[in-house]
Amino acid sequence: MISFRNIHKSFGPKNVLQGVSFDVHDGEVFFIIGASGVGKSVLIKHLVGLLYPDQGEIWLDGQEISRFDELQMMAVRRKCAMVFQHSTLFDSMTCAQNVALPLRKHKNLKGRSAEHEAIKLLEKVHMEAFADRFPAELGDGMRKRVAIARALTLDPQYILFDEPTTSLDPVNARRVDKLIRELSDTLGVTSIVVSHDLVSIFGIADRIVMLYKGQVRLLGTREEFRNTTDGVVEQFTNGYAEGPMDL
Amino acid sequence: MSLASPHAAQESLTFRIGKNLFDMSEVAGGMAVLLVRVLWRIARANFDWNEFKTNMYKMGVKSTPIVVVTALFVGAIAVIQAAPMVQQYGAYGLLGWGAGFSVLRELGPLLTALMISGRVGANNTAELGTMVVTEQIDALRILAIDPLGFLIAPRLLAIVLTLVIANIYADALALFGAAIASKAMLGVEYGVFLNGLTSGLLNFGDVAHGLIKSAFFGLMMAIASCYFGLAVKGGAPGVGRAVNAGVVASATGIFILDYFVSFIIG
Repeated sequence: MISFRNIHKSFGPKNVLQGVSFDVHDGEVFFIIGASGVGKSVLIKHLVGLLYPDQGEIWLDGQEISRFDELQMMAVRRKCAMVFQHSTLFDSMTCAQNVALPLRKHKNLKGRSAEHEAIKLLEKVHMEAFADRFPAELGDGMRKRVAIARALTLDPQYILFDEPTTSLDPVNARRVDKLIRELSDTLGVTSIVVSHDLVSIFGIADRIVMLYKGQVRLLGTREEFRNTTDGVVEQFTNGYAEGPMDL
Repeated sequence: MSLASPHAAQESLTFRIGKNLFDMSEVAGGMAVLLVRVLWRIARANFDWNEFKTNMYKMGVKSTPIVVVTALFVGAIAVIQAAPMVQQYGAYGLLGWGAGFSVLRELGPLLTALMISGRVGANNTAELGTMVVTEQIDALRILAIDPLGFLIAPRLLAIVLTLVIANIYADALALFGAAIASKAMLGVEYGVFLNGLTSGLLNFGDVAHGLIKSAFFGLMMAIASCYFGLAVKGGAPGVGRAVNAGVVASATGIFILDYFVSFIIG
Protein backbone atom coordinates (compact mmCIF):
# COMPACT_ATOMS: atom_id res chain seq x y z
CA MET A 1 0.00 0.00 0.00
CA ILE A 2 1.10 3.55 -0.71
CA SER A 3 0.30 6.35 1.69
CA PHE A 4 0.85 10.07 1.14
CA ARG A 5 0.60 11.94 4.45
CA ASN A 6 0.39 15.72 4.62
CA ILE A 7 2.71 16.35 1.66
CA HIS A 8 3.85 19.93 1.16
CA LYS A 9 6.00 21.05 -1.74
CA SER A 10 6.98 24.52 -2.91
CA PHE A 11 9.04 25.76 -5.85
CA GLY A 12 10.29 29.20 -4.89
CA PRO A 13 7.30 31.29 -3.88
CA LYS A 14 4.82 28.86 -5.45
CA ASN A 15 3.19 26.45 -2.98
CA VAL A 16 2.23 23.56 -5.25
CA LEU A 17 1.22 20.92 -2.70
CA GLN A 18 -0.27 22.11 0.59
CA GLY A 19 -0.97 19.10 2.75
CA VAL A 20 -2.00 16.27 0.42
CA SER A 21 -2.99 13.01 2.13
CA PHE A 22 -4.50 9.81 0.71
CA ASP A 23 -3.86 6.05 0.44
CA VAL A 24 -3.60 3.86 -2.64
CA HIS A 25 -4.67 0.23 -2.12
CA ASP A 26 -2.92 -2.78 -3.61
CA GLY A 27 -4.10 -3.91 -7.04
CA GLU A 28 -6.26 -0.90 -7.82
CA VAL A 29 -6.17 1.50 -10.75
CA PHE A 30 -5.99 4.83 -8.98
CA PHE A 31 -6.33 8.12 -10.87
CA ILE A 32 -4.96 11.48 -9.77
CA ILE A 33 -6.83 14.21 -11.59
CA GLY A 34 -6.92 17.98 -11.54
CA ALA A 35 -6.23 21.02 -13.69
CA SER A 36 -2.87 21.54 -15.38
CA GLY A 37 -0.19 22.78 -12.98
CA VAL A 38 -1.99 21.59 -9.84
CA GLY A 39 0.90 19.28 -8.89
CA LYS A 40 -0.25 15.83 -10.04
CA SER A 41 3.05 14.90 -11.71
CA VAL A 42 4.98 16.59 -8.90
CA LEU A 43 3.20 14.35 -6.40
CA ILE A 44 4.00 11.04 -8.09
CA LYS A 45 7.64 12.05 -8.64
CA HIS A 46 7.94 12.13 -4.82
CA LEU A 47 7.18 8.44 -4.70
CA VAL A 48 10.27 7.47 -6.71
CA GLY A 49 12.70 10.04 -5.33
CA LEU A 50 12.76 12.38 -8.32
CA LEU A 51 11.51 15.04 -5.90
CA TYR A 52 11.51 15.23 -2.12
CA PRO A 53 8.71 16.77 -0.01
CA ASP A 54 9.32 19.90 2.05
CA GLN A 55 7.09 18.41 4.72
CA GLY A 56 5.09 15.21 5.14
CA GLU A 57 5.66 11.47 4.81
CA ILE A 58 5.34 8.86 2.09
CA TRP A 59 4.84 5.26 3.15
CA LEU A 60 5.38 2.34 0.81
CA ASP A 61 4.57 -1.16 2.07
CA GLY A 62 5.05 -0.08 5.69
CA GLN A 63 8.30 1.85 5.10
CA GLU A 64 8.66 5.61 5.32
CA ILE A 65 10.60 6.44 2.14
CA SER A 66 10.44 10.22 1.81
CA ARG A 67 13.92 10.71 3.31
CA PHE A 68 15.62 7.85 1.46
CA ASP A 69 18.89 8.71 -0.28
CA GLU A 70 19.62 7.82 -3.93
CA LEU A 71 21.03 4.40 -3.00
CA GLN A 72 18.04 3.45 -0.83
CA MET A 73 15.70 4.71 -3.53
CA MET A 74 17.10 2.12 -5.97
CA ALA A 75 15.21 -0.58 -4.08
CA VAL A 76 12.01 1.47 -4.18
CA ARG A 77 12.38 2.02 -7.92
CA ARG A 78 12.65 -1.70 -8.57
CA LYS A 79 9.23 -2.07 -6.95
CA CYS A 80 7.77 1.06 -8.43
CA ALA A 81 8.11 1.64 -12.18
CA MET A 82 7.16 4.83 -13.94
CA VAL A 83 6.00 5.63 -17.47
CA PHE A 84 6.70 9.27 -18.26
CA GLN A 85 4.41 11.54 -20.25
CA HIS A 86 6.86 11.66 -23.17
CA SER A 87 7.83 7.97 -22.91
CA THR A 88 11.55 8.86 -22.44
CA LEU A 89 12.87 5.92 -24.43
CA PHE A 90 16.62 6.08 -25.03
CA ASP A 91 17.09 7.58 -28.51
CA SER A 92 20.30 5.73 -29.27
CA MET A 93 18.77 2.28 -28.66
CA THR A 94 16.23 0.21 -30.57
CA CYS A 95 12.95 -0.70 -28.88
CA ALA A 96 14.32 -4.15 -28.00
CA GLN A 97 17.51 -2.64 -26.58
CA ASN A 98 15.48 -0.15 -24.54
CA VAL A 99 13.51 -2.98 -22.97
CA ALA A 100 16.57 -5.21 -22.64
CA LEU A 101 18.60 -2.61 -20.73
CA PRO A 102 17.03 -3.14 -17.27
CA LEU A 103 17.16 -6.90 -17.89
CA ARG A 104 20.90 -6.69 -18.55
CA LYS A 105 21.51 -4.49 -15.53
CA HIS A 106 19.30 -6.16 -12.94
CA LYS A 107 18.62 -9.72 -14.09
CA ASN A 108 22.14 -10.34 -15.38
CA LEU A 109 20.88 -11.46 -18.78
CA LYS A 110 23.48 -11.16 -21.52
CA GLY A 111 23.08 -9.90 -25.13
CA ARG A 112 20.85 -12.39 -26.98
CA SER A 113 18.93 -13.71 -24.00
CA ALA A 114 18.17 -10.16 -22.78
CA GLU A 115 16.83 -9.21 -26.21
CA HIS A 116 14.83 -12.47 -26.38
CA GLU A 117 13.17 -11.60 -23.05
CA ALA A 118 12.65 -8.04 -24.27
CA ILE A 119 10.77 -9.27 -27.33
CA LYS A 120 8.51 -11.38 -25.07
CA LEU A 121 7.65 -8.21 -23.15
CA LEU A 122 7.09 -6.29 -26.38
CA GLU A 123 4.63 -9.03 -27.37
CA LYS A 124 2.58 -8.19 -24.27
CA VAL A 125 2.09 -4.66 -25.62
CA HIS A 126 1.76 -5.84 -29.26
CA MET A 127 4.99 -4.12 -30.29
CA GLU A 128 7.17 -7.15 -31.15
CA ALA A 129 7.10 -6.27 -34.87
CA PHE A 130 8.85 -2.99 -34.08
CA ALA A 131 11.62 -4.45 -31.90
CA ASP A 132 14.41 -3.30 -34.24
CA ARG A 133 13.06 0.20 -34.76
CA PHE A 134 14.46 3.27 -33.05
CA PRO A 135 12.06 5.42 -30.96
CA ALA A 136 12.30 8.30 -33.45
CA GLU A 137 10.75 6.02 -36.10
CA LEU A 138 7.61 5.37 -34.03
CA GLY A 139 4.45 7.32 -33.27
CA ASP A 140 3.52 8.55 -29.77
CA GLY A 141 1.19 5.65 -29.02
CA MET A 142 3.76 3.07 -30.06
CA ARG A 143 6.49 4.73 -28.01
CA LYS A 144 4.19 4.73 -24.99
CA ARG A 145 3.53 1.01 -25.35
CA VAL A 146 7.27 0.31 -25.58
CA ALA A 147 7.77 2.44 -22.46
CA ILE A 148 5.14 0.32 -20.69
CA ALA A 149 6.98 -2.85 -21.77
CA ARG A 150 10.21 -1.38 -20.38
CA ALA A 151 8.44 -0.52 -17.12
CA LEU A 152 7.35 -4.16 -16.81
CA THR A 153 10.89 -5.56 -17.01
CA LEU A 154 11.52 -5.57 -13.27
CA ASP A 155 8.13 -7.12 -12.41
CA PRO A 156 7.04 -4.01 -10.48
CA GLN A 157 4.28 -4.08 -7.89
CA TYR A 158 3.41 -0.49 -8.69
CA ILE A 159 3.44 1.45 -11.95
CA LEU A 160 3.09 5.21 -12.12
CA PHE A 161 1.70 6.57 -15.38
CA ASP A 162 2.17 10.27 -16.05
CA GLU A 163 -0.54 11.34 -18.51
CA PRO A 164 -0.37 8.11 -20.51
CA THR A 165 -3.03 9.09 -23.05
CA THR A 166 -2.10 12.72 -23.61
CA SER A 167 -1.32 13.44 -27.28
CA LEU A 168 -2.63 10.04 -28.38
CA ASP A 169 -5.46 9.56 -30.86
CA PRO A 170 -8.65 8.06 -29.33
CA VAL A 171 -7.96 4.53 -30.59
CA ASN A 172 -4.42 4.43 -29.22
CA ALA A 173 -5.58 6.12 -26.01
CA ARG A 174 -8.16 3.37 -25.40
CA ARG A 175 -5.52 0.70 -26.18
CA VAL A 176 -3.30 2.16 -23.47
CA ASP A 177 -6.29 2.27 -21.07
CA LYS A 178 -7.02 -1.38 -21.79
CA LEU A 179 -3.41 -2.27 -21.12
CA ILE A 180 -3.40 -0.47 -17.76
CA ARG A 181 -6.62 -2.22 -16.73
CA GLU A 182 -5.23 -5.62 -17.80
CA LEU A 183 -2.06 -5.11 -15.78
CA SER A 184 -4.17 -4.66 -12.70
CA ASP A 185 -6.66 -7.46 -13.45
CA THR A 186 -4.20 -10.11 -14.65
CA LEU A 187 -0.92 -9.32 -12.86
CA GLY A 188 -2.27 -7.55 -9.77
CA VAL A 189 -0.16 -4.46 -10.52
CA THR A 190 -1.20 -1.30 -8.68
CA SER A 191 -1.42 1.58 -11.15
CA ILE A 192 -1.35 5.25 -10.23
CA VAL A 193 -2.40 7.25 -13.25
CA VAL A 194 -2.03 11.00 -13.55
CA SER A 195 -4.52 12.16 -16.15
CA HIS A 196 -7.13 14.65 -17.21
CA ASP A 197 -8.51 12.39 -19.92
CA LEU A 198 -12.16 12.05 -18.84
CA VAL A 199 -12.77 8.94 -20.99
CA SER A 200 -9.87 7.16 -19.29
CA ILE A 201 -10.88 8.34 -15.84
CA PHE A 202 -14.47 7.14 -16.08
CA GLY A 203 -13.50 4.11 -18.16
CA ILE A 204 -10.94 2.26 -16.03
CA ALA A 205 -10.47 3.95 -12.62
CA ASP A 206 -11.21 2.03 -9.42
CA ARG A 207 -10.78 5.16 -7.34
CA ILE A 208 -10.00 8.76 -8.11
CA VAL A 209 -8.53 11.67 -6.20
CA MET A 210 -8.96 15.22 -7.41
CA LEU A 211 -6.34 17.83 -6.45
CA TYR A 212 -7.37 21.45 -6.35
CA LYS A 213 -5.30 24.38 -5.05
CA GLY A 214 -2.66 22.04 -3.67
CA GLN A 215 -5.09 19.94 -1.62
CA VAL A 216 -7.37 16.94 -2.00
CA ARG A 217 -10.77 18.13 -3.20
CA LEU A 218 -12.49 14.77 -3.48
CA LEU A 219 -11.43 11.13 -3.07
CA GLY A 220 -13.80 8.42 -4.18
CA THR A 221 -15.03 5.95 -6.75
CA ARG A 222 -16.23 6.75 -10.27
CA GLU A 223 -19.83 6.71 -8.99
CA GLU A 224 -19.02 9.12 -6.19
CA PHE A 225 -17.43 11.48 -8.71
CA ARG A 226 -20.43 11.19 -11.05
CA ASN A 227 -22.89 11.91 -8.25
CA THR A 228 -21.00 14.68 -6.46
CA THR A 229 -22.64 18.03 -5.85
CA ASP A 230 -19.28 19.79 -5.44
CA GLY A 231 -19.34 22.49 -8.13
CA VAL A 232 -15.57 22.46 -8.65
CA VAL A 233 -15.47 18.69 -9.21
CA GLU A 234 -18.56 18.84 -11.42
CA GLN A 235 -17.04 21.55 -13.58
CA PHE A 236 -13.81 19.55 -14.04
CA THR A 237 -15.37 16.15 -14.66
CA ASN A 238 -17.87 17.57 -17.12
CA GLY A 239 -15.32 19.84 -18.80
CA TYR A 240 -17.37 23.02 -18.44
CA ALA A 241 -15.63 26.23 -19.50
CA GLU A 242 -17.55 28.26 -16.91
CA GLY A 243 -17.96 27.42 -13.23
CA PRO A 244 -16.58 27.90 -9.74
CA MET A 245 -13.06 26.59 -10.53
CA ASP A 246 -10.41 29.22 -9.95
CA LEU A 247 -7.81 28.58 -12.68
CA MET B 1 19.77 61.12 -17.16
CA SER B 2 20.12 58.08 -14.95
CA LEU B 3 18.47 58.26 -11.54
CA ALA B 4 20.73 55.59 -10.04
CA SER B 5 23.33 56.93 -7.60
CA PRO B 6 27.05 56.27 -8.24
CA HIS B 7 27.05 54.21 -5.02
CA ALA B 8 24.28 51.99 -6.38
CA ALA B 9 26.23 51.50 -9.61
CA GLN B 10 29.33 50.57 -7.59
CA GLU B 11 27.30 48.12 -5.51
CA SER B 12 25.92 46.63 -8.64
CA LEU B 13 29.42 46.10 -10.07
CA THR B 14 30.62 44.60 -6.77
CA PHE B 15 27.55 42.41 -6.69
CA ARG B 16 28.17 41.23 -10.22
CA ILE B 17 31.84 40.46 -9.57
CA GLY B 18 30.91 38.58 -6.40
CA LYS B 19 28.16 36.68 -8.15
CA ASN B 20 30.50 35.66 -10.97
CA LEU B 21 33.07 34.46 -8.45
CA PHE B 22 30.43 32.43 -6.63
CA ASP B 23 29.19 31.00 -9.93
CA MET B 24 32.73 30.01 -10.93
CA SER B 25 33.33 28.44 -7.52
CA GLU B 26 30.08 26.52 -7.84
CA VAL B 27 31.10 25.17 -11.26
CA ALA B 28 34.62 24.26 -10.09
CA GLY B 29 33.25 22.58 -6.96
CA GLY B 30 30.57 20.76 -8.95
CA MET B 31 33.13 19.44 -11.41
CA ALA B 32 35.43 18.30 -8.58
CA VAL B 33 32.59 16.43 -6.86
CA LEU B 34 31.51 14.85 -10.14
CA LEU B 35 35.10 13.80 -10.87
CA VAL B 36 35.51 12.11 -7.48
CA ARG B 37 32.17 10.30 -7.78
CA VAL B 38 32.98 9.07 -11.29
CA LEU B 39 36.54 8.00 -10.44
CA TRP B 40 35.16 6.07 -7.47
CA ARG B 41 32.91 4.11 -9.85
CA ILE B 42 35.76 3.46 -12.27
CA ALA B 43 38.00 2.29 -9.41
CA ARG B 44 35.34 -0.27 -8.43
CA ALA B 45 34.75 -1.22 -12.12
CA ASN B 46 31.16 -0.11 -11.57
CA PHE B 47 30.50 1.11 -15.09
CA ASP B 48 28.79 -0.16 -18.24
CA TRP B 49 31.25 -2.02 -20.45
CA ASN B 50 29.00 -1.86 -23.54
CA GLU B 51 28.68 1.91 -23.22
CA PHE B 52 32.45 2.15 -22.88
CA LYS B 53 32.98 0.19 -26.11
CA THR B 54 30.35 2.26 -27.93
CA ASN B 55 31.98 5.48 -26.76
CA MET B 56 35.48 4.33 -27.66
CA TYR B 57 34.25 3.77 -31.21
CA LYS B 58 32.23 7.00 -31.36
CA MET B 59 34.89 9.18 -29.75
CA GLY B 60 38.14 7.41 -30.61
CA VAL B 61 37.75 5.72 -33.98
CA LYS B 62 35.54 8.43 -35.48
CA SER B 63 37.99 11.17 -34.43
CA THR B 64 40.82 9.56 -36.41
CA PRO B 65 40.43 11.52 -39.69
CA ILE B 66 40.39 14.92 -37.99
CA VAL B 67 43.43 14.04 -35.84
CA VAL B 68 45.37 12.65 -38.84
CA VAL B 69 44.85 15.77 -40.98
CA THR B 70 45.57 18.17 -38.11
CA ALA B 71 48.68 16.29 -36.98
CA LEU B 72 50.25 16.18 -40.47
CA PHE B 73 49.89 19.95 -40.82
CA VAL B 74 51.04 20.70 -37.27
CA GLY B 75 54.42 19.08 -37.99
CA ALA B 76 54.73 20.92 -41.28
CA ILE B 77 53.85 24.25 -39.63
CA ALA B 78 56.52 23.71 -36.96
CA VAL B 79 59.11 23.35 -39.75
CA ILE B 80 57.81 26.43 -41.61
CA GLN B 81 58.23 28.54 -38.47
CA ALA B 82 61.71 27.19 -37.78
CA ALA B 83 62.93 27.39 -41.41
CA PRO B 84 64.34 30.99 -41.42
CA MET B 85 66.46 30.40 -38.30
CA VAL B 86 67.62 26.97 -39.51
CA GLN B 87 68.69 28.46 -42.84
CA GLN B 88 70.39 31.48 -41.20
CA TYR B 89 72.54 29.31 -38.91
CA GLY B 90 72.71 26.24 -41.13
CA ALA B 91 71.45 24.12 -38.24
CA TYR B 92 69.84 21.49 -40.47
CA GLY B 93 70.92 18.68 -38.17
CA LEU B 94 68.89 20.13 -35.30
CA LEU B 95 65.66 20.31 -37.27
CA GLY B 96 64.55 16.83 -36.19
CA TRP B 97 65.26 17.63 -32.57
CA GLY B 98 63.44 21.00 -32.77
CA ALA B 99 60.35 19.53 -34.40
CA GLY B 100 60.38 16.55 -32.05
CA PHE B 101 60.77 18.65 -28.92
CA SER B 102 57.91 21.02 -29.78
CA VAL B 103 55.59 18.31 -31.11
CA LEU B 104 56.13 15.68 -28.40
CA ARG B 105 55.99 18.00 -25.41
CA GLU B 106 53.57 20.71 -26.49
CA LEU B 107 51.98 20.89 -29.92
CA GLY B 108 50.94 17.25 -30.17
CA PRO B 109 49.00 16.97 -26.90
CA LEU B 110 47.64 20.53 -26.97
CA LEU B 111 46.33 20.62 -30.52
CA THR B 112 45.02 17.04 -30.37
CA ALA B 113 43.12 17.95 -27.20
CA LEU B 114 41.66 21.11 -28.72
CA MET B 115 40.58 19.31 -31.90
CA ILE B 116 38.97 16.46 -29.96
CA SER B 117 37.39 18.93 -27.53
CA GLY B 118 35.62 20.65 -30.42
CA ARG B 119 34.33 17.40 -31.80
CA VAL B 120 33.88 15.00 -28.87
CA GLY B 121 33.41 17.41 -25.94
CA ALA B 122 30.73 19.49 -27.65
CA ASN B 123 28.92 16.37 -28.84
CA ASN B 124 29.08 14.86 -25.37
CA THR B 125 27.58 17.95 -23.70
CA ALA B 126 24.82 18.20 -26.31
CA GLU B 127 23.94 14.51 -26.00
CA LEU B 128 23.82 14.51 -22.19
CA GLY B 129 21.96 17.84 -22.14
CA THR B 130 19.33 16.51 -24.50
CA MET B 131 18.96 13.43 -22.32
CA VAL B 132 18.38 15.70 -19.32
CA VAL B 133 15.73 17.88 -20.97
CA THR B 134 13.92 14.86 -22.42
CA GLU B 135 13.94 13.19 -18.98
CA GLN B 136 16.04 10.23 -20.21
CA ILE B 137 18.40 10.63 -17.23
CA ASP B 138 15.40 10.49 -14.88
CA ALA B 139 14.21 7.43 -16.80
CA LEU B 140 17.55 5.73 -16.06
CA ARG B 141 17.18 6.53 -12.37
CA ILE B 142 13.64 5.18 -12.40
CA LEU B 143 14.96 1.94 -13.87
CA ALA B 144 17.29 1.79 -10.83
CA ILE B 145 20.31 2.36 -13.09
CA ASP B 146 22.98 4.72 -11.78
CA PRO B 147 23.48 7.42 -14.48
CA LEU B 148 27.04 8.10 -13.33
CA GLY B 149 28.04 4.46 -13.71
CA PHE B 150 26.05 3.88 -16.88
CA LEU B 151 26.67 7.12 -18.79
CA ILE B 152 29.37 9.27 -17.26
CA ALA B 153 32.11 6.84 -16.14
CA PRO B 154 32.34 5.11 -19.57
CA ARG B 155 32.51 8.50 -21.27
CA LEU B 156 35.23 9.79 -18.99
CA LEU B 157 37.29 6.66 -19.48
CA ALA B 158 36.73 6.71 -23.26
CA ILE B 159 37.69 10.39 -23.58
CA VAL B 160 40.90 10.00 -21.55
CA LEU B 161 41.94 6.87 -23.50
CA THR B 162 41.00 8.50 -26.81
CA LEU B 163 43.23 11.48 -26.06
CA VAL B 164 46.20 9.39 -24.94
CA ILE B 165 45.95 7.03 -27.94
CA ALA B 166 45.27 9.88 -30.38
CA ASN B 167 48.29 11.71 -29.00
CA ILE B 168 50.55 8.74 -29.74
CA TYR B 169 49.64 8.56 -33.41
CA ALA B 170 49.29 12.35 -33.72
CA ASP B 171 52.92 12.68 -32.54
CA ALA B 172 54.07 10.15 -35.12
CA LEU B 173 52.09 11.78 -37.93
CA ALA B 174 53.19 15.29 -36.97
CA LEU B 175 56.84 14.20 -37.12
CA PHE B 176 56.16 12.50 -40.44
CA GLY B 177 54.63 15.79 -41.71
CA ALA B 178 57.61 17.70 -40.37
CA ALA B 179 60.05 15.36 -42.16
CA ILE B 180 58.23 15.82 -45.46
CA ALA B 181 58.11 19.61 -45.04
CA SER B 182 61.84 19.67 -44.15
CA LYS B 183 62.70 17.78 -47.30
CA ALA B 184 60.35 19.83 -49.49
CA MET B 185 61.23 23.29 -48.13
CA LEU B 186 64.80 23.00 -46.93
CA GLY B 187 66.06 19.93 -48.76
CA VAL B 188 66.86 18.18 -45.47
CA GLU B 189 67.26 14.45 -46.10
CA TYR B 190 65.03 12.07 -44.13
CA GLY B 191 68.09 10.44 -42.60
CA VAL B 192 69.37 13.79 -41.28
CA PHE B 193 65.93 14.61 -39.84
CA LEU B 194 65.70 11.17 -38.22
CA ASN B 195 69.19 11.54 -36.80
CA GLY B 196 68.14 14.80 -35.13
CA LEU B 197 65.22 12.97 -33.57
CA THR B 198 67.16 9.95 -32.34
CA SER B 199 70.60 11.32 -31.53
CA GLY B 200 69.93 11.38 -27.80
CA LEU B 201 68.69 14.91 -27.34
CA LEU B 202 65.16 13.51 -27.11
CA ASN B 203 64.24 10.56 -24.93
CA PHE B 204 61.21 8.67 -23.61
CA GLY B 205 60.71 11.39 -21.00
CA ASP B 206 59.66 13.79 -23.75
CA VAL B 207 57.07 11.32 -25.04
CA ALA B 208 55.85 10.61 -21.50
CA HIS B 209 55.59 14.35 -20.85
CA GLY B 210 53.12 14.67 -23.74
CA LEU B 211 51.18 11.56 -22.75
CA ILE B 212 50.77 12.74 -19.14
CA LYS B 213 49.47 16.05 -20.43
CA SER B 214 47.04 14.26 -22.74
CA ALA B 215 45.62 12.27 -19.81
CA PHE B 216 45.06 15.47 -17.82
CA PHE B 217 43.54 17.24 -20.83
CA GLY B 218 41.22 14.27 -21.32
CA LEU B 219 40.11 14.39 -17.69
CA MET B 220 39.46 18.13 -17.98
CA MET B 221 37.51 17.79 -21.21
CA ALA B 222 35.50 14.81 -20.00
CA ILE B 223 34.51 16.32 -16.69
CA ALA B 224 33.68 19.76 -18.14
CA SER B 225 31.59 18.34 -20.99
CA CYS B 226 29.74 15.91 -18.69
CA TYR B 227 29.18 18.48 -15.95
CA PHE B 228 27.67 21.09 -18.26
CA GLY B 229 25.61 18.42 -20.02
CA LEU B 230 24.13 17.16 -16.75
CA ALA B 231 23.52 20.72 -15.48
CA VAL B 232 21.33 21.74 -18.44
CA LYS B 233 18.19 23.67 -17.60
CA GLY B 234 15.63 25.23 -19.89
CA GLY B 235 15.10 23.04 -22.98
CA ALA B 236 16.85 23.51 -26.33
CA PRO B 237 18.29 26.99 -25.57
CA GLY B 238 19.70 25.51 -22.36
CA VAL B 239 21.45 22.76 -24.35
CA GLY B 240 22.99 25.43 -26.62
CA ARG B 241 24.23 27.42 -23.64
CA ALA B 242 25.64 24.28 -22.03
CA VAL B 243 27.56 23.27 -25.17
CA ASN B 244 29.02 26.77 -25.36
CA ALA B 245 29.98 26.79 -21.68
CA GLY B 246 31.40 23.25 -21.90
CA VAL B 247 33.65 24.04 -24.87
CA VAL B 248 34.90 27.29 -23.28
CA ALA B 249 35.53 25.59 -19.91
CA SER B 250 37.35 22.67 -21.59
CA ALA B 251 39.61 24.92 -23.68
CA THR B 252 40.36 27.26 -20.78
CA GLY B 253 40.99 24.35 -18.43
CA ILE B 254 43.29 22.67 -20.95
CA PHE B 255 45.50 25.77 -21.22
CA ILE B 256 45.59 26.27 -17.44
CA LEU B 257 46.44 22.59 -16.89
CA ASP B 258 49.09 22.81 -19.62
CA TYR B 259 50.86 25.52 -17.66
CA PHE B 260 50.72 23.70 -14.34
CA VAL B 261 51.60 20.24 -15.68
CA SER B 262 54.53 21.72 -17.66
CA PHE B 263 55.66 23.57 -14.54
CA ILE B 264 55.38 20.55 -12.24
CA ILE B 265 56.82 17.77 -14.39
CA GLY B 266 59.36 20.03 -16.08
